[in-house]
Parts: sequence; C-alpha cells; structure tokens
Amino acid sequence: MAGSRLERFGTVFTRVRDLMRSGVIKPSEKPIWYDVYEAFPPKRDPLHVKPHTRPSTKKQETVPEIFYREDEARAKFYEQYGTGPRPFDLSKSSFVSTCQRFVDKYTELQSHSELDGSALFEETGKALLSEGIVLRRKGAPPVSAESRDPVLELKLTEMLAEQQSVSADSEETTHSTHTP
Amino acid sequence: MSVVLHMFFNKVVKLKTKWRHGYCSLLWKTVTTERNFTAVNELQTRSRSLLTFCGTQASMAARALTKGLWGLRHSRLVTVGHPCGGHQYATAASIRSPQLQIDDATEKVINQPLEKPDFFRVSELFSVKDLFDARVHLGHKKGCRHRLMEPYLYGCRLDQDIIDLDQTVEHLQQALNFTAHVAYRGGVILFVSRQRQFGHLVESTAKNCGEYAHTRYWQGGLLTNAPIQYGPGVRLPDLIIFLSTLNNVFQPHVGIRDAAKMNIPTVGVVDSNCNPSLVTYPVPGNDDTPVAVEMYCRLFKMTINRAKDKRRQMELLHGLSAPSTPSS
Repeated sequence: MAGSRLERFGTVFTRVRDLMRSGVIKPSEKPIWYDVYEAFPPKRDPLHVKPHTRPSTKKQETVPEIFYREDEARAKFYEQYGTGPRPFDLSKSSFVSTCQRFVDKYTELQSHSELDGSALFEETGKALLSEGIVLRRKGAPPVSAESRDPVLELKLTEMLAEQQSVSADSEETTHSTHTP
Repeated sequence: MSVVLHMFFNKVVKLKTKWRHGYCSLLWKTVTTERNFTAVNELQTRSRSLLTFCGTQASMAARALTKGLWGLRHSRLVTVGHPCGGHQYATAASIRSPQLQIDDATEKVINQPLEKPDFFRVSELFSVKDLFDARVHLGHKKGCRHRLMEPYLYGCRLDQDIIDLDQTVEHLQQALNFTAHVAYRGGVILFVSRQRQFGHLVESTAKNCGEYAHTRYWQGGLLTNAPIQYGPGVRLPDLIIFLSTLNNVFQPHVGIRDAAKMNIPTVGVVDSNCNPSLVTYPVPGNDDTPVAVEMYCRLFKMTINRAKDKRRQMELLHGLSAPSTPSS
C-alpha cells in the first residue's frame, strides 16, 4: 500500500487526505481512523516542530510560579518548628498536617484580631497549645521521660582537653627535674 | 473445516517459535481466547470468499485470522456489487436487493457513532478528582521541562511543574473517544511503553482487551520495514497508544516518529519532559507514578472493551450477525 513517510511535513491526516485526493490511495484502502479523525480532530494539529538549535538569549517565563498568601506563615513555621510533631500521612487524601492547622489558625486570627508579625505567630502557637498540639522549636533538646545517664553527657572534646592539660603538666614537671 | 482449524493452530505455533529469540510481543495473542473460538466457528460456517465482502462478521473472522496468523491483509470494501458467496437471492428491479440493504445496515452501524460527540460516554469514566488522586498533575522539575509542554502546565510549585488538569481532562476525553471509535471499527491497537516497571501491567492490559502490546526493545524496522521483518502482507496497527513517550535514555521513543512516517495516529501520555509535537492525541500527565499509569491502563482497557461490546450490540440490533453466534 502506498504511503508518505515525510513525518516533518504536515500531519498524518493531511498526508493521507492528499494521497486520497490525488488517487494514490484508493477509497477502498481508506484507513480505519480517517473518518474518526475527520469527525473528531485533535485540539492541536500534530505538526512537527523544529527544535531551536541556537541558544536563546531571552527566556520568557511563561509558566508562573505558584505561591499562596499562606506561604509566608508556612515558611516561618518550618523555620522555627521544623515539620512538627506529627508525621505526614499522605495515604489519606483528607489529611491535615500540623503545619496546615497552624496556617489555618494563623489566617483565622489574622482576620479576627489586629495583631501582626511575630505577635500573631506567638498567639497562634498558644492557640494550638490550648488545642493540644505541642510545638517544639527546632534545635531544642527534646524532653525525655527517663533521666539520661550522666556518662552520656560527658563531652569527649572536654575530656581530651583535660587529658592533654594533665599530660602537659606532667611533662613540665619532668622537664623541670631534668634541667639542672 | 477441521483442516482450516488445524492450519490455523499450526501457523500460530510456527510463528511463536520462530521469533522466540528476538522477542516480539506482538504475537502475544494466543489461539485459546474466547473470541478466536467464536470467530473460528464462523469460519466453519461461512466460506472464505466472504472475507472480501465488507460484512461485519467477515471482519470478525478476518480479525481472528490476522491476530492468529498476522498475515492476512484485511480489505474494507464498502462498495456494492461484490459477489456474496453465502446468500442466494433473486434481485428484482423494483425491490432493493438484500445485499444493498445489508450494506446500508453495515454502513449505518459503522457511521452512526460519528454523529454524536460522545457516543461511548467516555467522559463518565473519570473526573478531575480521580486524576488528582492518581497524582497525574505532578510533573518533573523545572530544569527537565520541555519547551513545547509549557502550554499544558498550570504552574511551577517550588521548582516542580504542575500539569493543568483541566486541559488534561479535555485531552484525555478526546484520546479515549478516538480509541473507542477505532476499536469499534475493528482497528488493531498497539500499546507501547519502554518503562520496565510497567511492562507487565501494559502487557496484561493489552491481553485483557484483546489488543497488542510491545514493551521490549523497539527494533529499527519494526514499522518501517515490517514486510521484510515479518513477511509480506503484514497488517500494521491502526492506532498506537504510548503509556510513556520516552525510552530508557530519556529520548523520544522511536515509535512516535515511525508511526508518523507510516501514517498511523498515536495517542500518548506526555510528561513535562516529553515532546508532544508528533503525537496525534497527546494527554499531558504524569507517566512515572504507578497509580497514574494503572489508572491510564484501566481507562484504556475499559474504553476498548466498551467499544467492542457496543459493536456486538449494534450488530445484533441491526440483525447483521449470524444466528449461530451466541448473543453477547
């Protein structure tokens, strides 16, 4: 069966249509999809687009960045508290994370009260505390139930420094004995 | 008639062993499926000459042969005047011959679905929420973006591209509608995906809807050199569905260019790093998440099965099928 293998010129449909018009493809050999394409053409003709080989000087930003007003509150929350006490459970589509609850409370307080900035931030923290969510600042040591072993709290660097100073003292005394 | 059956089985076995090494999953369809048996029964009752007649039963029988043998050229002759081997009727000048009536009925069956915008009601199969839950809107990072995908993107959230699901819904609806119509007309559909993690899923999807799949290495001349690689008179697919338009080295799949060369329309899921220009019906969406790909496979399978069932229904309605076939 005759065909046209020029994929860079025109679309599949235009090539078959022209081949049929010129008589190369007989009406009996019409492809099955021809009538369907004619009845339901795609939104965009599937024409081949030449790739730009030269590096373009200007790159227009046609795809907008997605930012919301609440992102300011979210950024501050993550900076101060990290991800929050509760892990994310993404298997549920209706899951509300700690951060989201914080942001909701923040927007609510912002619309009701006249506080602003860090004061509003503190207020939101207190409000969440009253609801039962304890927010811990990032970097602060977590409070544990059992008492820690005092051995663990010894710092190795301090111990090394102590040892070095002790050995230096002992060396001095030996030096002093040696020198006449 | 048993001779025909015997020949049929032998040919299939021969083909399967010949290409065992250079694996070609085009011959996935085995002889043992239900459809083939009903079609083969028809073969037993009707003569071979009917294959040149455009009747729908002939198309079903021809399909069975092409799927089993992958060698018969199927001709779609809608013209009147071809001799019909099975029926013997006296034609009078005043009365239209039953052959003409049969042709009209067949033409009606074939062309009636084109009049409605959504004959197979494919828009009911999915919604924006389903696409969102399947994470279809998630694209790749900003650096991987293809410049031709920019019209399909909603925006960029912290450097990750978000695909516009409103556009995806429209494109997917068009793609499914096209697939349904092609399946309704008895077209051969080929599923292609070079993603290793979904190879089995794509193959089983194709098997479940009675179509073909190719998820292995695409040999250069598969479409363009088919008569030499597979023998003369091979029937090429009428539609190729790409579950992912990239191959394993993140280059466009050769099949897209080859299908355009061979004048075969394509339906393809294009991610934010793909080139949608040569795909006839692109569907902008995520092609990497398992949930998303499972959803696409499910949707295509449902549309194709729906279209084929509808075709059997319409044939029965217009009284075109033989009385020996069981009503579906």
